[in-house]
Amino acid sequence: MNDLTPGEKGTKKERSGLSKWTRRGFIGAGVLAGGGLLIGIGVRPGNPIDRLAPKVAGGAGEQLINSWVKIDADNIVTAIVPHCEMGQGAHSVLGQMLADELDADWNLVRVMQAPADGSYVVNDTARMFVAPFTMNAADWIEPTWNGLFTQIARMADVMITGGSSSIRTTGQHSMRIAGAAARKMLVGAAADAWGVPASEIVTRDSMLSHEASGRSATFAEFASAAAEQPMDQTPVLKTADQYRLMGRSMARTDIPAKINGTAEFGIDAMPEGLDLSYAATIRPPVPGTSALRMDASRAREMPGVLQILNMGNFVAVVADSYWQANQAVNAIDIEWSQSDSPVKTMEDQYAVFADALDAAGADGGEEAAARGNAGEALANAASTIEAEYRVPYLAHAPMEPINCTAHYADGKCDIWTSTQVPLMARSEVAGILGLDAEDVTIHHPYLGGAFGRRLGSEYVGMAARVAQATGYPVKLIWSREEDTQKALYRNADTCRMRAGLAENGGLQAYDSVFTQRHDPAEACVPAMYSIPNTSVRVAEAPLHLPFQAWRSVDHSVQGFFIESFIDEAAHAAGADSVEYRLSLLGDSPRHKAVLEKVAEISGWREPAAEGRAKGVAIVESFGTIVAEVVEVDMSDGTPKLANVWAVCDAGYVMNPDGFRNQIEGGIVFGLTAAMYGELELRDGAIVQSNFHDYKMLRMNEVPEIEVALINSGDVPVGGAGEPGLPPAAPAFANAVFAATGRRLRTLPIAKQFA
Amino acid sequence: MLNRAIIAVSLATIMLSACGSSEPPQVVEQIVVREPGEPEVAIAAPLTDIALGEEAFQRCTACHTVEAGAPSSAGPNLHAIVGRTAGSLEGFPYTEALAEEDFAWDAASLDAYLADPDGFVPGSDMLIGTVTDDEERAAIVGYLVSLSE
Amino acid sequence: MASFILNGETVTVDADPAMPILWVVREKLGLNGTKFGCGIAQCGACTVHLDGQPVRSCSTSVSQAEGREITTIEGVSGEDGALTAIQQAWVSEQVPQCGYCQSGQIMSATALLRDNPAPSDDDIDEAMKGNICRCGTYTRIRRAIKVASGQIEPRAEGEVA
Repeated sequence: MNDLTPGEKGTKKERSGLSKWTRRGFIGAGVLAGGGLLIGIGVRPGNPIDRLAPKVAGGAGEQLINSWVKIDADNIVTAIVPHCEMGQGAHSVLGQMLADELDADWNLVRVMQAPADGSYVVNDTARMFVAPFTMNAADWIEPTWNGLFTQIARMADVMITGGSSSIRTTGQHSMRIAGAAARKMLVGAAADAWGVPASEIVTRDSMLSHEASGRSATFAEFASAAAEQPMDQTPVLKTADQYRLMGRSMARTDIPAKINGTAEFGIDAMPEGLDLSYAATIRPPVPGTSALRMDASRAREMPGVLQILNMGNFVAVVADSYWQANQAVNAIDIEWSQSDSPVKTMEDQYAVFADALDAAGADGGEEAAARGNAGEALANAASTIEAEYRVPYLAHAPMEPINCTAHYADGKCDIWTSTQVPLMARSEVAGILGLDAEDVTIHHPYLGGAFGRRLGSEYVGMAARVAQATGYPVKLIWSREEDTQKALYRNADTCRMRAGLAENGGLQAYDSVFTQRHDPAEACVPAMYSIPNTSVRVAEAPLHLPFQAWRSVDHSVQGFFIESFIDEAAHAAGADSVEYRLSLLGDSPRHKAVLEKVAEISGWREPAAEGRAKGVAIVESFGTIVAEVVEVDMSDGTPKLANVWAVCDAGYVMNPDGFRNQIEGGIVFGLTAAMYGELELRDGAIVQSNFHDYKMLRMNEVPEIEVALINSGDVPVGGAGEPGLPPAAPAFANAVFAATGRRLRTLPIAKQFA
Repeated sequence: MLNRAIIAVSLATIMLSACGSSEPPQVVEQIVVREPGEPEVAIAAPLTDIALGEEAFQRCTACHTVEAGAPSSAGPNLHAIVGRTAGSLEGFPYTEALAEEDFAWDAASLDAYLADPDGFVPGSDMLIGTVTDDEERAAIVGYLVSLSE
Repeated sequence: MASFILNGETVTVDADPAMPILWVVREKLGLNGTKFGCGIAQCGACTVHLDGQPVRSCSTSVSQAEGREITTIEGVSGEDGALTAIQQAWVSEQVPQCGYCQSGQIMSATALLRDNPAPSDDDIDEAMKGNICRCGTYTRIRRAIKVASGQIEPRAEGEVA
């Protein structure tokens, strides 16, 4: 990216185009060096409320560019997007949305990763996280929120990929607007040059044409002239019937490099001209402890060893190769400080949860949601059911191990790593090395999976410290054992649930209390069901292992709790699991339609095959409603996954095959956790260490998966990366109940049938 | 999916999140063995055969432990392997091939197995642990034998 | 010094004989297509061919490669990078998500189809169960293997929901 230096003040001519404000954001244009059109789409930093305006960094003149689009002299359209590509296909589909509005030839569209510069702050995404209900806020509140969020986003280094949000925010608000605005400017430039009305010019496949006069030209020919055209700040976007690329399963732009070994991931960094040394590390087995002393007498004699470091919160060996470093670091005798945590085993952790739940009792704790009077309704119910559910800690275990390459020299630091939060990583390094953020450059290629694991930057800090202490450019890699045992985790939790049923089995009251509430805030509320008396409470308790958002976050926990318990209510009412849910979805027509469809495609109402049974679950998360039916085969007494049917309503799906791929992936991820996922503790340290004991579903164990899509339209577009996961575990557990009569209130499942 | 610190914000105040005020990194101990490009340091004292064997065994530790009572990992715990009936460690999911064997491991059988696992016990699953180098293999076998003495 | 034939060319490297092929190929020979995933032959990301047979290069020392042929993902494509039937199927079925495990998946699938041109589901299970995909692309891998072996038709691009 050598013709763009984000943040640099452009020429007076460029800047004069970048000055129109709108409520949502702004869009500006300039001429590319070498000829061509450059569009910047950003969020308005200024703030009309006087007392807030001075607090916004840089004042009203400063721009916060979110994304860029350029059309160069070769007629290539490049979208430069701030989201990372970690397998979810974000890059490609954002390019697809841009190309459609622009009427570009899909084969001439490229997508690039935006560099980790403050100019690429993803404001919309920050806003969505902090206040999910303001995305469609009333007009009068918009400018305030925009200004505020710009500031917060900047300060919090929000350049994030996560929350199944790339299409919903950057795609809808930036890519499409840029494409539509650019198209209009190109048409305007051609109209002026040809002396014909703009309305008679047709754009298609990166060409402009005027049929009546027989003229045509490539976009490139008018790109520079287009930059002079007036910009429409709120261009009209295509409606679904006009889409030519959106809504179609266009092939992903990143796949060709991923099938011949040429795609570069963070761990593959081989910066030119640098003679890398390699570091392997050992972090404390018990969180919160540190390395007091180390006996490195054996390690220092091992081949390839360069330096051995006790950095307090980790020990590292730097060597000529990673393998030698890892052999040596495991030969060090480390004395760790003592932990004063009383939690030594998972039983201790569950006891901590139990204490908090006992203290909260029947109506204590912090209220998360309430409707009607659950306490009273429970007391007066014809019958009640109660259950306690538990879920364990889970590791993210992305296939690409945690890694970071750092080169610190001459007051500057270059970092190569796989990260979901490049600006946070940049801040961390700058803080550690005492540098300005501008002196730290984060290079971040493809991620080998993340699932939330790379939302933190502790490993980037470690690499920076080792580079600083040794003076070498160093590639630091965590072994699989380190990432399984010394990372951050999906939380464990316990949930106590009660339901009150009427004479006819109808669900009159629902109450749940649990100890962990992270986000999204609404995950713990069974909002789609019409339960007249609902109470959801949180009785906070501390976690022994540090928390990190794990694919679908709280939905992965609450989906299991809620959809298993609703199934219990259905059974207590003597009702079919699907029919019972349908009876509760009277106020949720979209959910009802999704559930009906999954019952249909799974053959729910047909008799079960020999030795097999089905379970169902429905969860709405990240704007997408997903219902799944899992069919288990219990013919040998252990649960085998035979089939999964999923129906999804995301409002509108931009790339159906890409969407399906994400849902299939979410299902496999969720079923893996349900079947095997568990981290045990011994003396406060995690027991599992690698894939032989932190097991994964493999080719011979995955079910057939069928995914059907409903485009209910006219609703904010929902996400794809996470929504497939939450229904998987409960649908699986419910299927096991249907097959065996055993209600599973804990996970994982396989060990309960060993 | 943000850290909690980013979520807590109110309309009335702008949250100026404290960033970058971490403590300077502390190096508790730093041992410089050699610089990149320099030759390896010579090992001070020659290793005994058993120590050589223990070194050679390092490559096996990815999957095997010899510590009494430690749980097996990808491969079975080899504590007191010499004299133990093949495929008999309780709880370990051996291949059928090895589980069905009833000889007791000794130096000769260990040597033959490590040289060619699938040849010695057809159907067993330890191809990756083949040790073709005669000296290396002898050292490993010697080490395992020494542990049971 | 270790000497072996890598993707058709003889190479000699100065490496500890106990160093696994994975690290020799990545760090000393600069071929990063073969990936590190677990280090104990449990995930298959490091799969290469040793005299044509798939092995986990993280647990195979370079001394075992002496004088033998090693093929990595970089050596699988034909002349001028021509894609094999498997690679084409991986594209038509849009298999990869993050892509990190796919070099290993393709190496295992390539060996399978070479030995068994029309594998059944059980054959596919057996040959591929050593390769983990954390993104969950298993059903697509299965379909792609069947497409590459001519047992089913490839997906058409650009389908509508």
